[in-house]
Amino acid sequence: MVRKYLRMTLNERIQHLNLFINFTILVITGFALKYPEAFWVSPITNVPGGMTIRGFLHRLSGVAIVTLGIYHILYCTFTERGRGIIKDMIPRLKDLKDLWETLKNNLFINRPPKKIKMGRFNFREKFEYLGLIWGTIVMTVTGFILWFEVEWLRYFPKWTFEVARAIHFYEAILATLTIVVWHFYSVIFNPDVYPMNWAWVTGYISEHEMEHEHGLELEKIKAHEKGKVVELGESVVTQGGTKVYPLHPPKEEEKRGSIRRLYGIVQDLNETIKSWKGI
Amino acid sequence: MGTLRKLIYFTLLLIFVSLSYYNLSYGNKSFCLSCHQDESLKKQDSRGKIVSLYVSEEGFKASVHGKLSCNDCHSYIRDDKHAEGGEKRGNKTVYCGKCHKEAEKEYMQGLHSKIPKGAKERAAQCHDCHGKHNILSSKNPKSKTHTSNIDKTCNRCHSDIEFVREHALGSIIPGDEFKESVHGKSGEVTCVSCHGSHDLRSLIDPKSSIFRSNIPNTCGTCHPEITKQFVESIHGILAARGRTDAPTCTTCHGIHGIKAKVDPNSPVHEKRIALTTCPQCHAAERISREYRLTTKPVKSYYDSFHGLSYRGGDTYSANCASCHGIHDIRPSSDPKSMVHKNNLQKTCGSCHPGASENFAKGKIHAIASIRGEEFEEKVVGWVRNIYIVLIVVVIGGMLFFNFTDWLRKTIDRAH
Repeated sequence: MVRKYLRMTLNERIQHLNLFINFTILVITGFALKYPEAFWVSPITNVPGGMTIRGFLHRLSGVAIVTLGIYHILYCTFTERGRGIIKDMIPRLKDLKDLWETLKNNLFINRPPKKIKMGRFNFREKFEYLGLIWGTIVMTVTGFILWFEVEWLRYFPKWTFEVARAIHFYEAILATLTIVVWHFYSVIFNPDVYPMNWAWVTGYISEHEMEHEHGLELEKIKAHEKGKVVELGESVVTQGGTKVYPLHPPKEEEKRGSIRRLYGIVQDLNETIKSWKGI
Repeated sequence: MGTLRKLIYFTLLLIFVSLSYYNLSYGNKSFCLSCHQDESLKKQDSRGKIVSLYVSEEGFKASVHGKLSCNDCHSYIRDDKHAEGGEKRGNKTVYCGKCHKEAEKEYMQGLHSKIPKGAKERAAQCHDCHGKHNILSSKNPKSKTHTSNIDKTCNRCHSDIEFVREHALGSIIPGDEFKESVHGKSGEVTCVSCHGSHDLRSLIDPKSSIFRSNIPNTCGTCHPEITKQFVESIHGILAARGRTDAPTCTTCHGIHGIKAKVDPNSPVHEKRIALTTCPQCHAAERISREYRLTTKPVKSYYDSFHGLSYRGGDTYSANCASCHGIHDIRPSSDPKSMVHKNNLQKTCGSCHPGASENFAKGKIHAIASIRGEEFEEKVVGWVRNIYIVLIVVVIGGMLFFNFTDWLRKTIDRAH
């Protein structure tokens, strides 16, 4: 049996799917406004009231992504696994070195190529995740300015509105191209994962991928299995298919207080999604 | 013989002669019709066309002139000689002005009474429009000049493509256009409503109803409220001064083929007004240069949210007329203008309820450029430039890095 490693929990996969769908809708409905005569826009412009529907969908998906963002913040704050993700996502000097060494490997400057061991999130993923957060903040702020122009222009001069409009457009180009160039390479066109990294569907990646992309993390997991005490996320699936749970489950008294209660809600939701047998 | 006898003979002779002359006279219809009843009676006219000389007795009797005799109109025809052929054999012209003095006077001022260059006859004579022996009152629905038949009467010449080309009457066939127009379909408006009838004048005649500066008044006979608005607008003022570039009614609405504004083919349909109608002048190099306008408003509109959504077919989005008005467009310096700075808040507020005073401040038709005139244009220009550099560097870097990555992995696999 080929060993698999949990990469995305069902909750995270649903978050990803949500982002995927809404991001796509936003890209299509957004650029349809900027390039109304483009051939691919005709399904929108040919429908009576198509542009009005387009605007409505764009706002709807925008709200959906903002909601998802808020949920993600809660998820990362109040779940053990979420906090782990944030901890592992912080960019470090090592990431810059990894990128540099990868480039040198790729260009045959390192001979023989250096073996690079990367953590749970490698520099590619960290860059993309931070970019996504940055982009979401920028697009949310400028998007709401454009949406509530009457309210905004009550307090700010018109040029701020025009700047918001320009930023919303160029940031959209940047975000879309980043997804196409960076993300699609990482998860599709990268010869190691081609035709696709299925983690977004199945949640697991193979040991081969683990070794290439997250060598350090693999070592950590293996060390844990040998009996060493290593901090884990919520749960890890072992070779036998059984789950290994964290050493120190959160204690009941820690859950008190309003923030803790909110945590309880998020965790309940998380558990519900996890134990859902629908798919 | 006595004097009395002589007198009697003379009187009898006189009676006989006058009676016989009366018999021969052309006041006697049956005498004329003895020849002209023949349906095969023909001649060649000066243009070489075959013309039938048949006169229908019934038709003539039913006509408004049915009680007149032939020589009341054909006053120059005295004897049989006119039948001998040839042009010089008697003057055969009919002079309607003998009775219709007013119409004749008008006609003589009109364009149809002129003899076109190279032609021998007037452009159109009475009978060309009214018919000959079968003239009916214009109130009679069968009359050639009845409202319902006027387009057919005019189109006999003006829809004949050969004729139109030969006489340079314009490139289009107005008849077909007009039939489909909102005026044509109404059944009440005909050619003569705008062009006039007997005194129909040339396009370039300043007295003509279709002379540029007179068009608003011509249309105003039926649309007085609109003309009232228009003559006070900047377009109306310029048109009244004879600026040939200034638009009149027809510039935006079309000429013979005017459609209702709800018709998608109408140039003033809400989906076309900002794409073709206003830009035909306001995005035109020649006109914008002459009037020191710029084509920027059109360009900046197309790039604005209003314009982008409009280009996608959104009629809910503002077009030119939404802010500038329709027939009463005035320059922004005019306090009555919808885009005067004191009225802008209200104008914007008609679509954006609650628009503040601040909402309408700032340049609307701005074009982003780091060398722009306004601060707003400059700052957006800078934002754009910075973003373009950012996009090129970031995406370019990603492409480069991924390409090396792909290349290396592909090479490794090949070995």
